[in-house]
Amino acid sequence: MKQICPLKKLILFTALEMLFLFGVVWIFDPFYQYHAPFGDGKAVLYDRDNQVVGTIRNFSYDSVLMGSSVAENFDHSYLENRYGSRMIKIIKSNGSLADLLYYLDMARENHILNNVFWCLDLFALESSPIPTILDGISPPAYLRTKSLLDDIPYIYNKEIIFEKIPMQFAYAQIDKNTGGNAYNWAEGKEFSAAKAKQVYQKPKTAETPKDFTEEKNNLAENLALLTKEIATHPETAYRFIIPPYSLLWWDYAYVNGILDKNFYLLEETLPTLLAYDNVELYYFQSDKDIVCDLDNYMDMIHYSPQISQYMLEQLNGDNYRVTKENCEEKIAEMKALAKEITENDIYKYYNTRIAVQIE
Amino acid sequence: MLFNSVIYITLFQPIVIGGWYLLQKLKNPVWAKLFLFGMSLVFYGYYNASYVGILIASLFLNHACSILLQKTEDEKGRGIVLWIGILGNLGLLFYFKYFNFFIENCNFLLHTDLNVEKIALPLGISFFTFQQISYVTERYRRNAAYRNFLDYGCFIAFFPQLIAGPIVLHDEWLPQLDNWRERKKTADDFYAGAALFILGLAKKVLLADSLAVLVNVEFNKISHLDALSAWIVISFYTMELYFDFSAYCDMARGIAKMMGFTLPINFRSPLMAVSVRDFWRRWHITLSRFLTQYIYIPLGGNRLGLFRQCFNIFVVFLASGFWHGANWTFVIWGLLHGFAMIGETLFSYYKKAHGITKPILPEKARRLLTGIFVTLSFSVFRSDSPNDAALLWKKLFAGGYNNVIFNISHTLRFPENYALNEAVSLYAPQYTDALFLFYLLLLLSFGIFFIRGITTDEWITKKGHTTFGAFLLATLFAWCFISLSQVSVFLYFNF
Repeated sequence: MKQICPLKKLILFTALEMLFLFGVVWIFDPFYQYHAPFGDGKAVLYDRDNQVVGTIRNFSYDSVLMGSSVAENFDHSYLENRYGSRMIKIIKSNGSLADLLYYLDMARENHILNNVFWCLDLFALESSPIPTILDGISPPAYLRTKSLLDDIPYIYNKEIIFEKIPMQFAYAQIDKNTGGNAYNWAEGKEFSAAKAKQVYQKPKTAETPKDFTEEKNNLAENLALLTKEIATHPETAYRFIIPPYSLLWWDYAYVNGILDKNFYLLEETLPTLLAYDNVELYYFQSDKDIVCDLDNYMDMIHYSPQISQYMLEQLNGDNYRVTKENCEEKIAEMKALAKEITENDIYKYYNTRIAVQIE
Repeated sequence: MLFNSVIYITLFQPIVIGGWYLLQKLKNPVWAKLFLFGMSLVFYGYYNASYVGILIASLFLNHACSILLQKTEDEKGRGIVLWIGILGNLGLLFYFKYFNFFIENCNFLLHTDLNVEKIALPLGISFFTFQQISYVTERYRRNAAYRNFLDYGCFIAFFPQLIAGPIVLHDEWLPQLDNWRERKKTADDFYAGAALFILGLAKKVLLADSLAVLVNVEFNKISHLDALSAWIVISFYTMELYFDFSAYCDMARGIAKMMGFTLPINFRSPLMAVSVRDFWRRWHITLSRFLTQYIYIPLGGNRLGLFRQCFNIFVVFLASGFWHGANWTFVIWGLLHGFAMIGETLFSYYKKAHGITKPILPEKARRLLTGIFVTLSFSVFRSDSPNDAALLWKKLFAGGYNNVIFNISHTLRFPENYALNEAVSLYAPQYTDALFLFYLLLLLSFGIFFIRGITTDEWITKKGHTTFGAFLLATLFAWCFISLSQVSVFLYFNF
């Protein structure tokens, strides 16, 4: 019998093994680049940077919940039940408006959206109006593009094969990061005043208010992009949720001379959005019981899952709503709270003022 | 470009090998040579195009010397051209490799504050500089014929050996270029080349890079080590360097073989050496050959008495230390080897004088002692500074025992052991330390097994051509390929 040349065997074995690896990654597809889970399979979502694009392109939905890391712990199944919709979370860690709008455009390529729930961060309003996604770093460009040719780092990657696929299995078994808990990171985190205070060393003196011309320009461009999105999609209901940051965040803004800028962002944004009929706005930042109790936080801005759930329930009851009529009143309320925080409430947690007096 | 990168494996290598064979079908061989030279420059300039300019400038300098030597008949004139060539090459090397180091030391010694911009070291400059010094010297000695710029460029810039050797001599490679079409190329030869490449890739990606995970972390916190962990760390580094360099040599020879060329063997089981002299006959063989031919012998070698021989050895190893890098740690490493070689030379004279013909110690003991010496010397080689090396040696010999071995073993986290680590930490967390200690011992055992085992060439000859051999190679290739998402560089690129 004629012997097959070893070179041919090598080529054949290599081709078969590479094909096998491709098949494994394509079938299990932990980043959902090629398809949603087959049949009744649960989607396991724990890695926003790598999984968001796949879910946007390949999942079936008619509503989205968007925002930064502060939106990740929302149980969106609650909203699905309330509004009778199918929903995915679209998360970008920096909450950048341009990035989230980029994702929204991507979602509209194959989906009609009835509801957009947008956890709108104040700091995101001043971020660059150019999407950082286009840098190709987060998410990596090969996940963003539709070409299969540049997918080698995904298909032939041992982290995907030996880590992500087993993780997908294990998480699905224990129901971790599935359903409404997609991207939920709260497990194992400590929410307490002691923990929150670790991230903030209160300075002894406050800086004078800073110039914020650049931020003003960014805000104008961001608002132009956002209002264009809202105006061109009257069929979509936009519900903006302004999340409650802790008193540390407000004090930080005060001592660093950026409190005026934050109020400028607020004063410009709220009326602009309220001008549209398909917009609802919910403002949680002035709730003193939440904001001034540091046990609700793990750092300056990240609140506990209980607060997340509370916010969704309030949405359901149409509480915390800002309208054209009460908009000014809400902002005035916030200004008063910020003053109270920086003059009194912060000293429940820091004794800097006493230290200054001793000096 | 790196051999262990997706771009090289999926694009560059198929294009360059396919193109080379296709263009050889044309009547005029110039096209194939132009293609090879061009692709070698692409390979060299892939990460930094400015390096190509430096390489080409260096090629022009040496080619100009070659032309001048062709036209100059009188010995004095030829000698001047030779020195221009040697000093030009060394000047280029000095500027890019040693200038910052020189200024730092000037500032230290003369208490000056000279400031110069950090000069980036072009990849492989030490290799192509030495290769060209050899060529110009052989041209001066009338041992090498004149070659046109294209042939010369193909020889020096031949990409498999351009960045980390071997340091090829003109008479080893250029005749192969000349008679390439006449030589028979078989599928078996190509297969042997592919097998060499894959085995080299596996040594680099699966062994050297796995060992590097622990080494890179622990060399940054030497002060935390105890004696046992320090010995583990330096043993891991020795194995990392061994597999890294061995990998590059195998891959370079494998690629060359697939293209129908043979490169000299640069690496022959060096950790099986029974003496330091034996080590240098096995480790970086072509560098030892260069230093012997162009420094040791011109200085008089062993022909001018024992003292002069010892001095020549000292000079050779001082040069070897400097060649490896602009840091005193490399110089100390070179000198350690130099003194060991001088010791061995004196001892062999002593044995000869007293009529001792048999070795004092059994072979295994000599192998072990040589291994310990090499490992200790490499610990200096890897250290960031002589102070770090001193601290490491203090830990090695007076570091006590503080259970640090369990901490260092926890660095051995790879995608391959992720599922097991998670399962153990979830269901039997009390065994986590034992599991990581097991990984450490497993890696150590694998290292020793492969160091003591048969060479790559022997394996290919004996087992590589079977169906199982082909399957194993395909599996190793696939495993390496999925490991390339995070590319690491070869250690010898820095020299």
